[in-house]
Amino acid sequence: MQYGAAAAEQAWYMPVVAPSSAVETAAERMERLASESAVVVFSVSTCCMCHAVKRLFCGMGVHPTVHELDLDPRGRELERALACLLGASGASAAGAPVVPIVFIGGRLVGAMDRVMAAHINGSLVPLLKEAGALWL
Amino acid sequence: MGETSSSSHSRQDPCVLGYGFHGAIANSTPANFFDQEGAAYFGELEETFMHQVASLTRTQQAATTSIAHHGDIKPFPTAATVTAATATARPPPTLDIFPAWPMRSLHTPKEGSNVTADSTDDSESSSKNNSNHSSDQHGAAADMQSQFDQVSQQQQLQHKNMATSSTPRTGKTPDRKQTIRRLAQNREAARKSRLRKKAYIQQLESSKLKLAQIEQDMQRARSQGIFLGGAPGANTTSSGAAMFDVEYARWLDDHGRRMAELHGALHAHLPDGDLRAIVDDTLTHHDELFQLKASAAKSDVFHLITGVWTTPAERCFLWMGGFRPSDLVKTLLPQLDPLTEQQLVGICNLQQSSQQAEEALSQGLDQLHQSLADTMAGGSLIDDTNMSFMGQMALALGKLSNLEGFVIQADNLRQQTLHQMHRILTVRQAARCFLAIGEYHNRLRALSSLWVSRPREILGADEGHCGEISIAAQASQSQFSSF
Repeated sequence: MQYGAAAAEQAWYMPVVAPSSAVETAAERMERLASESAVVVFSVSTCCMCHAVKRLFCGMGVHPTVHELDLDPRGRELERALACLLGASGASAAGAPVVPIVFIGGRLVGAMDRVMAAHINGSLVPLLKEAGALWL
Repeated sequence: MGETSSSSHSRQDPCVLGYGFHGAIANSTPANFFDQEGAAYFGELEETFMHQVASLTRTQQAATTSIAHHGDIKPFPTAATVTAATATARPPPTLDIFPAWPMRSLHTPKEGSNVTADSTDDSESSSKNNSNHSSDQHGAAADMQSQFDQVSQQQQLQHKNMATSSTPRTGKTPDRKQTIRRLAQNREAARKSRLRKKAYIQQLESSKLKLAQIEQDMQRARSQGIFLGGAPGANTTSSGAAMFDVEYARWLDDHGRRMAELHGALHAHLPDGDLRAIVDDTLTHHDELFQLKASAAKSDVFHLITGVWTTPAERCFLWMGGFRPSDLVKTLLPQLDPLTEQQLVGICNLQQSSQQAEEALSQGLDQLHQSLADTMAGGSLIDDTNMSFMGQMALALGKLSNLEGFVIQADNLRQQTLHQMHRILTVRQAARCFLAIGEYHNRLRALSSLWVSRPREILGADEGHCGEISIAAQASQSQFSSF
C-alpha cells in the first residue's frame, strides 16, 4: 500500500516547480488522483470503516493507493468534491461520513456498501483484474 | 285514640317517621341515633326500611283517604313493582324478610296495608309510650331500644303475610318478641354481608391467580425470544428497540406463514412461473427485515449488536447483529445438491468473498474497539482528572456512532449474500434454499426454548429417563408443527 501521491507532493513541494496545483480545482485533483493508480482509496486515518476497506483489499492481495484526507492540506476541499460526486451518482445520507471512497481503474466504485456488494456479486475481482491490480 | 293520634301524626310526617324515627322520639335528640354504633350496624337495612316505611305509610294514607286510589306508588326502586291493582287480585304474596337482598317484588296489598296500618298504629303508640318512658332515664341505650322497636314494627308489617311459623311465641311481651326478631334480622343481614364479602374476596384471589399465571406465561414466552407487544418488562428498552421487537415478532409470524406456503408450493409441483413469484416474494420479505434492522440500528444499535432480540441459541452464533453469511452458505451447500459445475463454482466463490468481507468488517470493528478503549482509558484512570472527562466522553460518543455503520454494513453483506444465492440457483433450488434457511433458524429457536425449559430439578437417579421424557413431551407441542 502506498500512502499517496498527495503525501509525496507535500514532502517534495517546491514553489517554483508547482505547475498546476495552484489553479487545479478540487474536482480536477480528485480526478487526477483517482486515475493515477489502479486502485485508489480516499480515506481518513482515524476512520474504522476505512480501515475495514483497506483490510479487504489487502486480504485479496491488492495494494491500493490510499489518500488520507485528514493529513492532506487540501483535504477539506477534496472531501467536498467527493461528497458532490457521491450526491450526484447515488444517495448519500446526510451526516454520514463520505469516506471511504474507492476508485478502480479511474472509475468510481463507491462507498463501502457498493464495494461489498460488488465483491459479493463477483464483479469486483474482474474489475480489479481489468485494472491490473490483481493477477492470478 | 292512640290510633287516631298516631295515624294523624304519621300522616303529618310520613317521611320523618322513616328517617331516624324522630317523630316517635319526642324528647331525645335525634342525632343520638346516628352517633351510636348501632347506626353502622344496620345502616343499609335502614335505607330499605326507610323506603318501605315511607311507601307503606303512603299506602296507609291512601288507604285511609281513598280506598279506590291504588296508584299512589312512590318511585322507590324497591317499590317499583308495587301494583295495588294486582294486589287485590293475587293471593297474599311473600315478602323478602331480609332487607339486605334487593327486593325484586314488593307487593303491598291493600287489605294488608289496611290491616297493617292498625298494627302499626298499635305498635307505634306502645313504642311511643316506651320511648317517653325510657328517654329520660336511659338515654342512649333506651333510644337504641326504641329504635329496635320502631324498626321491628316495619318487620311486623312485612311479616304480616308471611307463614305463621315464623312468628315467635305470642306469650311474651311484644317488645321482647320484636327485639328478638330484630336481632335475628340483624344477624341474618350481617351473615349475608359476610358471605358477600367472602365471595368478593374469592373472586379477587382467583383473578390474582390468573394474573400470576399470565405473567408466568409471558415470562416463558419472553425467554423463548418472542417479545409480546408493549411489555418490555423490568429492563428499560428504548422505544426504538421495543418497536423493533414488536415488528420482528410480526416478521417472524409472517415468515412462518410464507415458509409453509413455500413448502406447500414446492411439494405441489407448481409450474416454475408461480414458484418464482413465491420465491421472489420470500426474498423481498427478507429485504424487509434488513430494512427494519437498518432503521433499528439508527435508533438503538446496542439492541441489535448485543442480540437481545434473538433467542439464546441464535445469540450464540451472532456476528455483528445477525447471522454470519459465510457460515450460512457453508451450511446450505450440502442441502442444495444436485448443483451444476457452474453453480458449485459460484457458490464457492460466494463463500470465499463473503468470508473476506466478514474478515474486513471484523477487523474494522476491532479497530473501533481499540480506539474506543484508548479513549476511555485516556489520561489517568486513577487520579481524579475531571477536566478531560467530558472531552473524552464526547470523543467516545463520536467513535461509538460508527458502530451503526458496521451493523448496517453487516446487514448489507447478508442481504447481498442472499441475493447472490438467489441469482446462482434455479427456482426450485432457491425455494429449497429459503426453506432450509427458515428451518435452520427455526431449529435454533426451538433449541433455545428447549434449553430454557429443560428439567433441572432431577439430581438423583432416573436423570436420563426424565430428561428424555420431558423432551419427548415437548417435542409433540405445536411449535414443531411446521416441521
